[in-house]
Amino acid sequence: MPTDLRVSNISKIYPGCIANDKVSLQFKSGKIYALLGENGAGKSTLVKILSGVISPDNGEVFLNEKSLKLNSPLDAKKNKIGMVFQHFNLFETLSVFENLSIDTNEDNKNLRVKINDILKKYNFSIDLDIPVLNLSAGQKQKVEIIRCLLRNPKVLIMDEPTSVLTEQETDELFISLKKFCDEGILIIYITHKLKEVLSLCDEVAVMRKGKVVSVSQTEDEKIETLANKMVGQKLAKIKKKNNNLKNKVEIFKVKHLNFYSNDPFETNLENINFSVKKGECLGIAGISGNGQNELFQILSGEIITSNTSIIFRNKEIAQLNPKQRREYLMAFSPEDRISQAAVPELKIYENVALNNFKSSNFFEKGLVNEKKIKEHSKKILTDFSVNTDNVELKSQFLSGGNLQKLILGRELITAPELLICYNPTWGLDVGAINYIHETLLKINDQEKSTILISTDTEELLKLSDRIAVIYKGKLSRIMPSEEVTPEKLGVLMGGGSIDKN
Amino acid sequence: MIKIEKRNDVPTTLYFLTPFIAIFLTIIGGGIIFYFLGFNPIEALKFFFVTPISNLYGFSELLLKATPLCLIAIGLSFCFKSNNWNIGAEGQLTFGAIVGGGVALLFYDQEGFYILPTIIIAGALGGMFFALIPAVLKTYFNTNEILVSLMLVYVSKLLLDYLVVGPWSNPEGFNFPETRQFSNSARMPLLFEGLRIHAGIFLALLAVMLSWFVLYKTYLGFQIKVSGLSLKTAKYAGFKGKTMILVVFMISGACAGLAGVGEITGPIGQLHRMISPDYGFTAIIVAFLGRLNPFGIIFASLIVALTYLGAETAQIFLQIPKYTGQVFQGMILFFLLASDYLLFFKIKILSLKKNDLRH
Repeated sequence: MPTDLRVSNISKIYPGCIANDKVSLQFKSGKIYALLGENGAGKSTLVKILSGVISPDNGEVFLNEKSLKLNSPLDAKKNKIGMVFQHFNLFETLSVFENLSIDTNEDNKNLRVKINDILKKYNFSIDLDIPVLNLSAGQKQKVEIIRCLLRNPKVLIMDEPTSVLTEQETDELFISLKKFCDEGILIIYITHKLKEVLSLCDEVAVMRKGKVVSVSQTEDEKIETLANKMVGQKLAKIKKKNNNLKNKVEIFKVKHLNFYSNDPFETNLENINFSVKKGECLGIAGISGNGQNELFQILSGEIITSNTSIIFRNKEIAQLNPKQRREYLMAFSPEDRISQAAVPELKIYENVALNNFKSSNFFEKGLVNEKKIKEHSKKILTDFSVNTDNVELKSQFLSGGNLQKLILGRELITAPELLICYNPTWGLDVGAINYIHETLLKINDQEKSTILISTDTEELLKLSDRIAVIYKGKLSRIMPSEEVTPEKLGVLMGGGSIDKN
Repeated sequence: MIKIEKRNDVPTTLYFLTPFIAIFLTIIGGGIIFYFLGFNPIEALKFFFVTPISNLYGFSELLLKATPLCLIAIGLSFCFKSNNWNIGAEGQLTFGAIVGGGVALLFYDQEGFYILPTIIIAGALGGMFFALIPAVLKTYFNTNEILVSLMLVYVSKLLLDYLVVGPWSNPEGFNFPETRQFSNSARMPLLFEGLRIHAGIFLALLAVMLSWFVLYKTYLGFQIKVSGLSLKTAKYAGFKGKTMILVVFMISGACAGLAGVGEITGPIGQLHRMISPDYGFTAIIVAFLGRLNPFGIIFASLIVALTYLGAETAQIFLQIPKYTGQVFQGMILFFLLASDYLLFFKIKILSLKKNDLRH
C-alpha cells in the first residue's frame, strides 16, 4: 500500500522566534524528498514534530489521511515513522547487536536472523559482535538505519546524514536510500548540501525562516537556483583564487611532528611534515577524529611535544605556549567556539581580552585596562560586522555566526602573519559562511598565510592553494589544489590511496 | 518521566538572592527540628539566632568567630573560582598556627613590637607552604588535590598533637597537652576593654579589599575567572596554568595560616589541641554561601559565625548539644546546593502513558 504523509498548517512558536509558520507539505512513497534550508530555517523543528520529539502549537500530521497524535518518539515509531538523527544514539561500548536489541522485544535468535537478512538484502557489511566504538561513522549510521528497518518503517527521515561521511560512504548511502525508496519506503532527506539534493532527490521543498518558500521537482532546479531560494538573496560567488606562490618564502615549517597519547580517545600523530608559504592557504582535509584536534593543539601550543621542530619566521617555536606564539604573530581559531575559543558566560570585551598580545596593553603592570579592551572590542565589532555594538553583552547571546566573526575578528585584528583555523564555518548559515570565506581569502591577498583544518571539502577546495589529507594521524602527500577533486579527497579521507603503485 | 534541563540564562539578581532563600529555609528547617525535639520552635530559634547577639559582648563574639571564617573563605574563593578544590584549609590553618606558635614560643619570655608581625608572617608562610604540597603534587604529578589537601589536614592535626604533648608542652604545665602562654607582645591587641574582639579583624577586612582588587581588577583575577569557567579556554589563551594553580593555593594557604595565627595570638594565647572548631571546613560553606564574592563572604561569615554562637547558647539554655551548630551549617549548605540546582536546571515532568512502555 502506498504511503501518503501530509503535514497541514503546522506552526511552532518559541519565545522570540517562529520556528514553523503554517507549514503544509505532502510526501508520497516512491519518491525521495529533500527538505532544504539554512541553519535555523525550521527543518529540524518540522522533523522533530514528525518524529514526536516536540509537539506543534497548531496544525496536524496525517498518515494515509489518518490524523496522527505524535506525543513522543514512541508514537512515531508505532506509526512506522523512522528517524536517523545527525548525532548517533548508540552506546559506544556495547556491541552492534546489543545496541540493536535494546529497544525490541524480539528474542535474540530471531533478531539475529532478521538483522542478517537486512545485511544481506542491502549489502551492508558490519560485524554484529564488535563494539560500536570500533565502527566508522558510516557504519554507525548503517546501524541506526538497520534499527529503523527492523520496524518495517513506512517513512524514513534522514537528518543531515552525510555530514560525517566520506564521499564513498555517501555514495553507498545514496544507493541504499534509492533501494529503500523502490521498496515503497517514503524518504525525507534533510540537508543543506545542494549537490546532494540534485543527485539524490526527486522533489525538493525549500524552507526559509520557518516558512516553506518553494516546492519543486529537482530536475527543474540547478545549484544556483536552489541556493538562491535557500538564502533568499543572490549569492556573491567566491572565486577560487589563483595565487602565484612560486617565489614566495616559507614562513612556517613543521618537521617530525610526532605525538603519542595514552588516552584511547585521542589520536596519535605520526611523522607529520609540511610548510606554508607567505600568502598561502594550506588546507588539511579529513573526517573528524583523525587527529585534527591533536594537530591543532600542537600547532597552537596547547600541547607541547618533544623532538618536534616548528619553525615560524625563522624562529624555533615548538616549545612556546599559545600566548608566546601569539607574540610572534600567530593567531588561532579553534573548532569549538563555545567552550574553547570563547566563554559564553563572559562579556564580549572579556572574550576579546583572551587574545592578550604584548602591544595591546590590555593588562598594564598586571592591572586590567578595561577602557582599552572595550575600545578595541568596539573596533572588532564594527570591522567584522558583528550585529551588536554592546561590548558588555554576554557572548552567549550572540548567534554562532556572530560569535565566530567576533573570534576571527579578535584573532585577525592583530594582523597576524599566520592564522590557524579549524572548521571555521562549522554549523553556520550560508550568509556567515560567505563572510568568513571572504575574510579568509582577503588575508591571503594581504600576503598573510593560513592553515585551514576542515572537514568540509567544498570549503577546502574553495579556499586552499594546496591540500593534504589527514587520516588516522598521518598526513598524505600535499597536493596543489588544481590537482584535487572532491572524489580524490574522499578516497584519501576514507583511508584509500590515489597514487598508483 | 522526569527530564532535567539546563537553564540558559540565570538572572544575576536571583543568583545573589538564593543564599538568602537558603538561609530562610534553614531557619524553617531548624524550627521543625526543634519542634520534634520537644521545644517551642519560635523560642528555640530565638535562643539560637537572637539571644547570642543581643548584647555588646555577644556581638563581639560574633565578629571574633566570623574573622577566621572570613579570612579562610576569602582564600578559598581564589581556589574555587579557578577550579582548584582545596578542601584542606583546616590543615593549612593548623600548620600556620604551628609555625606561628613556634615563633611565639621562641619569644615566650621576651617583649617587643617586632614579635607579633614576625609571628603573623611566619603563620602565613606556614599555611602557604602547607597548601603548596597539594598544589605541587597536582601540577607536577597529576594527583587529585581534593584527596591530598584533605588528608594533610590529619597530618597537621597529629603533628600539633605530638608537639603539644611532647617537645613543646609547657614544662610547668602538669603534663596538660598545651604549650606555654605566649608573651603579651605575641598577642593580638584587643580593640575594646573587656571584649575578646581583636586586631585580627583588620587582617580579614584587608584580605577582603585585596581579594576584590585582585579578582576583579588584575590580570591574575582575569586568568582565575577564565580558568574557572573553561579550562580549555585558559589553555587556548596560553595562561600559565601551572603557575596559576601554585599561586591560588599559596594565597589560600596564606589566608588559612593567618586565620590560625589570629586564633592562637587572639583569644587562645597558646597552642593546644583544639585551636579550631573546624573553621577550615566550615569556611567552605562560607565561601559558597557568599557566592565566592569578597563582600558576599563578609555577610556569609557573619551568618555562619552566628550558628556557632547559637549552638553554644542553645547548649546552655536548652541543654541541647552544641553540635546542633553543625546541623545548621549542614542545612545551609544543603539548601544552598538544592536551590542552586533548581536555579541552574529546570525539572520537567513528562506525562507517560501506560501503553507507551510497550511498542
